[in-house]
Amino acid sequence: MSKAFEFHDVVKTYPGFQLGPLNFDLEPGTVLGYIGPNGSGKTTTMHCLTGLVKCNGGEMKVFGRKNSPHHPEWKLDIGYVGDIHVFYERWTGERNLKFLSQFYPNWSHTRAEELAKRFELPLNKRAKDLSGGNRVKLSLVSALAHSPKLLLLDEPTSGLDPVVRSEVLDTLFEVLEDGDRAIFYSTHILSDISRLADELAFLNDGQILLRTAKDDLTDRWRKISFRLAKDDVAVESVVYHHSDGKDHQVISSDFKDTLNRLKALGAENIQENRMTIDEIAVQIMKGVKNGTTA
Amino acid sequence: MILNLTDLSDEPLQSQIARQIRAMILNGDLPADTDLPSIRTLAREQHVSVITVQRAYEHLIQEGLIHSRRGKGFFVSELEDEKKKEMAKRRLYENLERPVLAAKAEGLSVREIHHTVDVIVENGKSAG
Repeated sequence: MSKAFEFHDVVKTYPGFQLGPLNFDLEPGTVLGYIGPNGSGKTTTMHCLTGLVKCNGGEMKVFGRKNSPHHPEWKLDIGYVGDIHVFYERWTGERNLKFLSQFYPNWSHTRAEELAKRFELPLNKRAKDLSGGNRVKLSLVSALAHSPKLLLLDEPTSGLDPVVRSEVLDTLFEVLEDGDRAIFYSTHILSDISRLADELAFLNDGQILLRTAKDDLTDRWRKISFRLAKDDVAVESVVYHHSDGKDHQVISSDFKDTLNRLKALGAENIQENRMTIDEIAVQIMKGVKNGTTA
Repeated sequence: MILNLTDLSDEPLQSQIARQIRAMILNGDLPADTDLPSIRTLAREQHVSVITVQRAYEHLIQEGLIHSRRGKGFFVSELEDEKKKEMAKRRLYENLERPVLAAKAEGLSVREIHHTVDVIVENGKSAG
């Protein structure tokens, strides 16, 4: 089966900023969390994939179909919730959805109504009268009503209260039960994605620093403390080192390796602790560039 | 199937899933030949990623507790008592490793650690 999406040498430049060259892909049925600070290029990546901006170079495919302005069929497989929610402001939600439905052969009005009901979204209000949260909901309904095989979500839960947020996540978990669907989810709030994601890609300053299975990350990273007379702990898997006399604390991106090396160096009273995905992400963003890639 | 998963534990989600299903199998709640939920169903129900469930199931397969039948899903395996005992021992080891080493680091002797285990068993008896 073809990949949900593929990027080959994709580059997009703005004055003072370059995204890429990006080379990565996504298997159907998986959720990739796209993690990075504001301004790192997450939204630009999404815009490249949806064709909202023209890239300077490279090639993209969605379910094997090339992303080309002359053959817009590749867009039919995509459901996109962007950072801004564009509607005809004087139209009701219902009319906006009806308008969008004509572009998608797979559109289901029943599904749109079900989703709206579930999110408690009033479809009879004009778009301009909707609250910020309701605008996000209307975007989600319009992205899901044609049952797309690839969902692109750009910080979809920002501006939503915790109850609606959890309803949105419920819906996403349901979307995934059908095995072919893939989700590409960008966020800087890891708690949203920490359960949903199969894999994580960390983006900083237009470059993907690390791409890995989420569970590998939490399996391998540890905070380790130990006693050792030497001050120099040159171990490759150690990404952070702090010492106070004979007492040391390190953060390891591969704790088995680190433990073996520390034992060989004669370290004593070694204690290791797991790290949360947030703690690990912070370390990666601080500039780990030699990590494991999936 | 009802699992009780938490993000507030030191134990990763895949281990929590494996541990709780393992307990249900070993204590007889899930007898041999029971079919387990599909990976995707369990992922949706428990709000965890597909890979997390997949790894939990792979772990249980490796332990010989469950097996997959092609196209039909996952089933609880037949288990001998000897095997159950062996697993209980291995789990005891895993659970004790950290506290025992910590106790040693805090200066207790092996004899004192043994004695503590005796006390725990003794207290457990009187508690029923």
